[in-house]
Amino acid sequence: MKSNFAVILFILLLLTGCMRWDYNDELTDFNIPSNGLFIVCEGNFQYGNSTLSFYNPSDNEVQNEIFYRANGMKLGDVAQSMTIFDNKGWIVVNNSHVIFAIDTETFVETGRIENLTSPRYIHFLSEEKAYVSQIWDNRIYIVNPKTYSITGYITVPGMPLSTGSTEQMAQYGKYVFCNCWSYQNKILKIDSDTDEVVDILEVGLQPNSLTIDSEHRLWTITDGGYEDSPYGYEIPALYCIDAESFEIIKSFQFSLGDTPSELQVNSDGSRLYWINNDIWEMDIHDEMLPGSPLIPYNGTKYYGLTINPENNEVYVADAIDYSQQGMIYRFSPSGDLIDEFYVGVTPGAFCWK
Amino acid sequence: MKYFKIALIIINILYFRIDALAKDNTKHLDEVVVTARRPMKEIGVEKTEFDSLALKENIALSMADILTYNSSVYVKNYGRATLSTVAFRGTSPSHTQVTWNGIRINSPMLGMTDFSSIPAYFVDQAALFHGTSSVNETGGGLGGLVKLETIPDAPPGLNLQYVQGIGSFSTFDEFLRLSFKNKHWVSSTRVLYSSSPNDYTYINHDKKINIYDEEHNIIGQYYPKEKNRSGAFKDFQLLQEIYYQSGKYDRLGLNIWLINSNRELPMLTTDYGDEREFENRQRENTIRSVVSWMHSQSSWNLSLKAGYIFTWLAYDYKREITEGFWADMTRARSHVNTIFGNVEGNYYIHNKWQFTASVTAHQQFVRSEDKNIILQQGDKAMVGYDKARLELSASLSAKWQPLYNLGLGIVLREDVFGDKKAPVIPAFFTDWLVTETYCRNLPLKLTLKGAVSKNYRFPSLNDLYFLPGGNPDLKSEQGFTYDAGFNLNFFLTKRFTVNLSANWFDSRIKDWIIWLPTTKGFFSPRNVKTVHAYGVETNIQSGIDLGKDLFLDLNGSFSWTPSINEGEKMSPADQSVGKQLPYVPEFSASLVGRLSWKTWSLTYKWNYYSERFTMSSNDFTITGHLPQYFMNNISIEKNFFFKPMDLQLKLAVNNLFNEDYLSVLSRPMPGINFEFFIGLTPKFLNGNISKRNIYENMDL
Repeated sequence: MKSNFAVILFILLLLTGCMRWDYNDELTDFNIPSNGLFIVCEGNFQYGNSTLSFYNPSDNEVQNEIFYRANGMKLGDVAQSMTIFDNKGWIVVNNSHVIFAIDTETFVETGRIENLTSPRYIHFLSEEKAYVSQIWDNRIYIVNPKTYSITGYITVPGMPLSTGSTEQMAQYGKYVFCNCWSYQNKILKIDSDTDEVVDILEVGLQPNSLTIDSEHRLWTITDGGYEDSPYGYEIPALYCIDAESFEIIKSFQFSLGDTPSELQVNSDGSRLYWINNDIWEMDIHDEMLPGSPLIPYNGTKYYGLTINPENNEVYVADAIDYSQQGMIYRFSPSGDLIDEFYVGVTPGAFCWK
Repeated sequence: MKYFKIALIIINILYFRIDALAKDNTKHLDEVVVTARRPMKEIGVEKTEFDSLALKENIALSMADILTYNSSVYVKNYGRATLSTVAFRGTSPSHTQVTWNGIRINSPMLGMTDFSSIPAYFVDQAALFHGTSSVNETGGGLGGLVKLETIPDAPPGLNLQYVQGIGSFSTFDEFLRLSFKNKHWVSSTRVLYSSSPNDYTYINHDKKINIYDEEHNIIGQYYPKEKNRSGAFKDFQLLQEIYYQSGKYDRLGLNIWLINSNRELPMLTTDYGDEREFENRQRENTIRSVVSWMHSQSSWNLSLKAGYIFTWLAYDYKREITEGFWADMTRARSHVNTIFGNVEGNYYIHNKWQFTASVTAHQQFVRSEDKNIILQQGDKAMVGYDKARLELSASLSAKWQPLYNLGLGIVLREDVFGDKKAPVIPAFFTDWLVTETYCRNLPLKLTLKGAVSKNYRFPSLNDLYFLPGGNPDLKSEQGFTYDAGFNLNFFLTKRFTVNLSANWFDSRIKDWIIWLPTTKGFFSPRNVKTVHAYGVETNIQSGIDLGKDLFLDLNGSFSWTPSINEGEKMSPADQSVGKQLPYVPEFSASLVGRLSWKTWSLTYKWNYYSERFTMSSNDFTITGHLPQYFMNNISIEKNFFFKPMDLQLKLAVNNLFNEDYLSVLSRPMPGINFEFFIGLTPKFLNGNISKRNIYENMDL
């Protein structure tokens, strides 16, 4: 009988295990004063595996998971964008309902704005005022970056909350312009003195990105919706809008089924770049879309694009299968590959320091 | 022969009803008639059956818990009353088919089944059909089949059972069963209600709380002690069954299963939203019903079944805009109507041949409304789809036993979904009784098994039609599977039985469907991967009579299931080829031990999953993998027998070692928690039935 109990006791001891939910409390003391590129990696929706990477083009060094390593906590779920203002990097983490501010040299958190609905981008107007665009909310949040607090809202007229979508923002004078993307077809003009939408311009279906060139003209790309969408499905287009008069100057049509996105300008605002399977480039004065790409499609779907403001080198994000470390390709302004490096899962946005 | 008789009795005791023996001091054991010949239908079949001890352990358990602790199938779950899916043999959740009394209950929209919504107390018989073996019952089971059934039986007369469970985190479970049986009629009514705020406490290692000075500078940080936010649930389920037995040959049955579920979806560990200002909730109303007629003769039988399933599923994601005013961010609704019919006949010739023909039809009607939008003209419109699909599956099988120790079987199955037809699915089975002998005067039996099949799985309706992203051009997933294994039954001593089985399998699945993001901001499914899933599954069941009314029953399983992406690279930078699929552990194991002594019983449950990668490239980044998983639960039960009623008391302790852990990224799990159950079984309703008959149905 004793031996039986000994056997049982032995088995029980074998079965005890120990798991630990902590990663490593050891923090990394970063101190990187050099310029470089932050890469915001979305991760996967509901996984909470967004990460932040930093790449130094002068020595080709990349540091991954810098937010976690500097702060000992995760960045969150679906990091959407990053903007630098006042020597702080402001990372908008969409499905964590938060914006983190970090020191751009140490990557250590300096503060956070919490309880946003579904933030997408932040645009700074002053040390004490910024706008935060949202999806699934018809309000642009007004925040105070100094106190990390929400101070008010700009409600978009005629936009229901459930399909609310405000995206990227660009400024001309006191006016902030914002494209409305998901099931929308509008560009908003917001008076930053009164925090009101003062004008709305209709463009094609689903304008997904917005930028401003050296001649104060807004550029936006529409994706045209999708097949069978009740909202419509049309040929995507590139629009040029005069920021002063807020009127469409010209537009360029792609082909039905094309998926243009990630519209960017170069350092002096004279050239436009975008993704449409390949990477494309055109002068802001061109009267036709280019016939051949700057960087041809290489068998993968490019997910992010940025231009180095110092030398116009082109950086392209390859999310591969969206569930592994993505690859960043660095090309010369003429499209020659210079470097490539792995970052986090689903690299989607960039921010130059 | 004397030893053999004793052995059969012991098997009967240990394998089927240890608890009955423990509760019944008089030990009235019926001698059972056991034939050496296995059922013809099971020639070459690899099957794991769950005994009633596992299914009826306590009223708080779902089928997800049963699979976790009684098989080596990987169950991915986020905690109680949250989505629980399985990876059977390294495949995806939609590759496991699930039937309840013959009707397939996989969601026609998603293809998968949420096992957390199936209470184990509503299932009388459950079995896993591994890989190829599922072709005997249904198509599309690339991983296998989970077959759930209720049985037309109850103790004679009128019987009542009530169980109340009270647990940690203000969890309440209530179960009531009322049954009646006479010569012709059996009626059984089961009701289960479970509710909990489910607000367990944990240390959040994914987040830090800042301590600020007056100028809003961070002067300190700490990992917060948080409560599980937005995890409440209220589930009501009712199962009504009525059977009519007409003489010896015919039985009519009606089964109706109602579900009313209201579950919040817990917030992630990395969510900085205010719980009070967000609502994330899923509600479900489901009715499943089956009417059946079975006619049995000595050499043939025929069954007809018809069924209907209705599911209303609502998902709401809301934000409080101003105090008391909530606005919808997402308001998704789906309505699923399924009409089911099945006819199956079996014909036997001299115990040498069995022929089976079966035709099953599921007519699906699905309306999915995912989003309300405002059109450019200002009108309202719905984003979603409204589709119907007829899903037909017909099979012919022949099982042949040319020799006493040799069985051969062939199944030909044809699946037609809508206007798409899969090639005929062939499956071959064989088994060989190598030896049936005595070793040291104790019986020993060794059987070898083998099977091979090709199988197809059609895309789900969401795969094809979901807006946005559905891809009507998707091909069916398809794969070859090979199985080989053995089953060994023997006695170590007269009081120590062992049933050991091991099975090797090898499966290659082509055109694996995965959903990938598009540059338009939504996901879309594509046929991209070829997956090589292979490995070994083992199981051991053992019963030990320790003497002095002490019995130990052990059931253990272990699996090694590499599931490797062997597809083409999706990009020159792709590092996933040759790697294990995400969230599929390479190793898994479980063990349940039950120690019974007179009216006491002690159950120990253990479960292990090896490290799971969350990234297809199997990177060891901070969020790229989850550490290996061990879980230990224990329960102790005592039965009292009083004149007016019997009383059962049970204490269950989950997460015995208070592990601080994640099972899925960003989903914290509860620490040690308890639930106490009290069961009442009145005797005054039916004084003349035997105690044993009551016990058969009264496990807590």
